Amino acid sequence: MSNPVIEVDDASVSYMIRHGASPTLKETVIQAFKRESHDVEVKALQNLSLKLHPGEVLAVVGRNGAGKSTLLKLLARVLPPTTGRVVVRGSVSPMIELGAGFNGELTGVENIVLYGTLLGRRPKTMRERAEHIADWAGLVGSINLPLRTYSSGMVARLAFAIATDEVSDLILIDEVLSVGDAEFQEKSKARMAELIDSKAAAVLVTHDLDAAREMSSKALWIDHGKVMKYGEVNSVIDAYINA
Amino acid sequence: MAKILMSKEVYDSAARGKVFADTFKAFWNYRELIVLLVKRDIAVRYKRSFLGLLWTLLNPLLTSLVLWFVFITIFSAKLPDGTQFAPYLLAGVLLVTFFTQGFNQAADSIAQGSGILMKIYVPPQVFAFAGAISNAVNFAFGLIALAFISLITGDGISWYFPLTFIVVICMLMYVTGLGLLVSVAYVRYDDTRSIFSILISFMMYLSPIFYPKEILSDNMLRIVNANPLTSFLDVFRYVFSNTGVASWADWAYMGGFSLVILFIGIRSFAKAWPRTVVMM
Repeated sequence: MSNPVIEVDDASVSYMIRHGASPTLKETVIQAFKRESHDVEVKALQNLSLKLHPGEVLAVVGRNGAGKSTLLKLLARVLPPTTGRVVVRGSVSPMIELGAGFNGELTGVENIVLYGTLLGRRPKTMRERAEHIADWAGLVGSINLPLRTYSSGMVARLAFAIATDEVSDLILIDEVLSVGDAEFQEKSKARMAELIDSKAAAVLVTHDLDAAREMSSKALWIDHGKVMKYGEVNSVIDAYINA
Repeated sequence: MAKILMSKEVYDSAARGKVFADTFKAFWNYRELIVLLVKRDIAVRYKRSFLGLLWTLLNPLLTSLVLWFVFITIFSAKLPDGTQFAPYLLAGVLLVTFFTQGFNQAADSIAQGSGILMKIYVPPQVFAFAGAISNAVNFAFGLIALAFISLITGDGISWYFPLTFIVVICMLMYVTGLGLLVSVAYVRYDDTRSIFSILISFMMYLSPIFYPKEILSDNMLRIVNANPLTSFLDVFRYVFSNTGVASWADWAYMGGFSLVILFIGIRSFAKAWPRTVVMM
């Protein structure tokens, strides 16, 4: 079997916050001088280990504040673990908050090029693919208009089309499969299935448990940073529902 | 310190990197993104204002014009022989605009981009560098106006003017370094902007932008000369229109200070950024 795309080995993420920390620099400096503050340790993730091979889909379930977005940051290589180790092999397509990174003043095409380059692709490739991406997102008529004239559904469709235009080794999905109308949802689910067939690994963070069962092979249930259960998708989701 | 890497390499959180070499490598490897970000900055500015790109030129020109009206009678006679007040002023305003706007944009670009930087792996240092470069481009536009003013006032342009390039490189290092140094505070605290804008205006007024150094008392002169911006201004005026004097000490101070600030900025950013990401 080929190398796993993701190898997480006993990774934990923790950080200190000042009790009653304030959002201003002035207050923070004053507090530091007064020595009134008490540091509190937040354990966002504890002793997580997992492996994901090409073509496998992992569903991540858990209540709000369970550590799901921290896990996505670890896998998107944005955040190093405090202890333990994370290895990710290959390119990552994060589909998290579709539309972050877009600029309202730029046109659809300009945003395709910029967003694609942010994802690590070549501007030249993106320029060549722009027409195809616009077509797939159903935005051919408005692709030369500034993005601020788009509806939020159009923005999300464009972001999805750019992110899935190339086959990545790892796709990170955070609640974005509910993008657009029913027709586009079908189309995007089909596209996801295609990518997974072509050996992309995916991590799917979702509250839609039916979608999780349908699309995933494995599941991870976390709560307050702790791993509650990890393994075959149906057994994990059953345990999560019954908890 | 964790290794900074390119988007398609194998990522291993346990790999240690060399923070300086990695940062410079990232600037090179992400050069296409830097070009796009600079183009975006310029395009957005152009699209938002009625005057478009002309505004970036008009702004320092109008500022200089106002200062010229106010100070011409006081300072003109104090300048060294053969130096005209108008190009002296415009040179100062252009370079200081590069400094203040470059610093602001370098620091702010990471705060503005934090939404995406916390989700997609792009070395955030690239954003700061692109912000600084946008302002170098503005500065280059400004040089055209300065050349024009220098020629009509009779100051002329020096044969050394290509050396202005070195001033630009040093300023890029200086503002990128300063920007990286404070950008984490920009992301975390709301009031950083106002606090730093006060510090920056201190630095502005403690450098000879619109007044000649000749009017300063000995004590004041010591303070003003300790400000690296003063060396930048001396060197720039000297290489561009051969006015004033720039010693080797000025060159060394400008280059050395920029390099040190850049290294401090890179190092502190690499340490502070992961601690910020985890809290967001």
